[in-house]
Amino acid sequence: MEVKLKIWRYDAYSGDRELRDYELEAPEWACLLDVLDLIKDQQDGTLAYRKSCRMMICGSCGMRMDGRAILACKERMKPIVDRGHVPVISAMGNMPIVKDLVVDMDPFWSKIRRMKPWLEPGYDEVLERERIVSQQQMNAIQKEALCIMCGCCVSECNSMESDPEFFGPAALAKGFRFVGDTRDQASIERLEDYNDEHGIWDCTRCYFCNERCPKGVDPRDAIAKLGAESVKEGIDRDMGAKHAKWFVKSAETTGWLRETELVPKTQGIVAAVKQTKFAIGLAKKGKVPPPIPPHVAADVGESRALRQLVREQGREGAQGIIQGERGLARIEHTDAGGARRDAPEVTPGEEPPKAEG
Amino acid sequence: MTKVAYYKGCLASLSAKELDTSTQALAPMLGLELDELESVTCCGAGDIHEAEPDYYLHLNARILAYGAATGAETLMTICNVCTLNLRQANFQLLNDPDLRGRVNKNLATVGVPPYEEDIDVKHLLWLIVEDDGAERLRQVAHKGLKGLKIAPFYGCQILRPSKLLGFEDPDKPWSLEAIIEACGGEAIDYPAKIKCCGFPIIQAREDVAMGELIQPIEQASEAGADAMVTPCPLCHLSLDAWQSKLKATTGRDFKMPILHLSQLVGVAAGLEESELKFKRHVVPVDPVIEKLEV
Repeated sequence: MEVKLKIWRYDAYSGDRELRDYELEAPEWACLLDVLDLIKDQQDGTLAYRKSCRMMICGSCGMRMDGRAILACKERMKPIVDRGHVPVISAMGNMPIVKDLVVDMDPFWSKIRRMKPWLEPGYDEVLERERIVSQQQMNAIQKEALCIMCGCCVSECNSMESDPEFFGPAALAKGFRFVGDTRDQASIERLEDYNDEHGIWDCTRCYFCNERCPKGVDPRDAIAKLGAESVKEGIDRDMGAKHAKWFVKSAETTGWLRETELVPKTQGIVAAVKQTKFAIGLAKKGKVPPPIPPHVAADVGESRALRQLVREQGREGAQGIIQGERGLARIEHTDAGGARRDAPEVTPGEEPPKAEG
Repeated sequence: MTKVAYYKGCLASLSAKELDTSTQALAPMLGLELDELESVTCCGAGDIHEAEPDYYLHLNARILAYGAATGAETLMTICNVCTLNLRQANFQLLNDPDLRGRVNKNLATVGVPPYEEDIDVKHLLWLIVEDDGAERLRQVAHKGLKGLKIAPFYGCQILRPSKLLGFEDPDKPWSLEAIIEACGGEAIDYPAKIKCCGFPIIQAREDVAMGELIQPIEQASEAGADAMVTPCPLCHLSLDAWQSKLKATTGRDFKMPILHLSQLVGVAAGLEESELKFKRHVVPVDPVIEKLEV
């Protein structure tokens, strides 16, 4: 088949950038990585990209196709050629470009290291007998353990675009892989650390990470699990945790969100008072509904009783999310239940961001 | 008329009452009979899912149970966050009989009817455009939008994760554009239309949220939009109310009117101010109204 594609070339030393066109013959089974190899062999040896295993396990070939972070070894070219589409290939986002499709992953790795990605067994001497972990216990972290650290989630993270210091989806998913491991004895210390200003509660829930992850890790869900474990352990000093807890309080007292009280309950009275001028502006438009009399849902007693009941059943923290994964894993990718990816007619393309330094 | 169970969520009862009144007025024109759910609570907005996820599942199961009890096949939402939270809980329950059994037992214990008949959760946006709805809309939107340039803003939780939402391509959505065109407006294209408005962290991390919020407003403004439209009241609140803070922090006053989806279709269909309630917006909608009245 005849493949056409465009690649954003970039030279960090000269700062030169160019969207270059390529056309070549490739076998019908070729994936994007095969096509890049053919280009490098036959047309332009200077094209730079990372690769290794070719089978979605090393995590080296993360890049963007039409602005979406993908693994080059996972994208089959035939359906794209069949619909006459000319994709634009560029480097991943949120990381400085070294050359062409290669990004500098040092910031990525330093965040992974910050998570202390090793087991803290809680003893120095090796035990006499091996420690048996049940299948059920391992199932609790199986999704997070699938991460191949390709960076596709980080590439599209909306919070990290705004706060480059945000730990990000890959590192936090790695964090839950250890917090959720029954062998680890440092979960509390980990949660304390992950509750940093740039940690768990910095996530804006844009769900780009779940959408892009080529391995089904669902990093956003892992971040929610860390939040749930933090609240369960009483590590709730962050405004994000206080915000989340106020929704629980609202649901069991009035049923509906107690919207106007949310600001002081999240930020504290002093910080909330500083918002007075802003709040008055909103109040003039009816955007600050008076908390008294409260807007109470009918039969709210049922909601209160439900909370009491489920708390007694003890599925607190991350367990409450993990129990739903069996049902979610059974969603079929059909027109009714899954994503419909329509063929894009125009190619947005993505300008590579400027490299730092 | 198709009967749907109407779950309006928190904000449409509180700071975004204009979303509820315009939806209620518009629905019959679209052939939708709204059966408003009374005995329901907040979906948890992702916050209860993060703080006490087992409680989140039960609260949403209770909403689904009361929705199914109306006999309708569809539970209609008017908020992205409600849509994701309810659909997520629904998939967890529909695909796992053991989990559904446990939750139903708990519901029965506190006197809630069990969630037995399945119900599908759909956003108003999808109900408008599905089955060639844009064609139907041309009849309803008789007053039109007179070629106004409208920037569609989807927000996140009506597109992603597509495994749970799945109505359209999350990277190349078309539904809002189809509605804008059918109502006689011109849809503006810009990259940030599928990105985050920052609302979930606007109180806990205002600086980070503002860095997200400015992108769609700035891009829509530079593309010449007369107004933006969103299917989510949380996006609406941040785009509309927090725009004044962008002015304070960046010195840029975009004066960009933000419309709810039901208001955009409603104004094209000839609804009155008493139903549209544009006066409740922080950024004045007057420039839009003036262009329509010419």
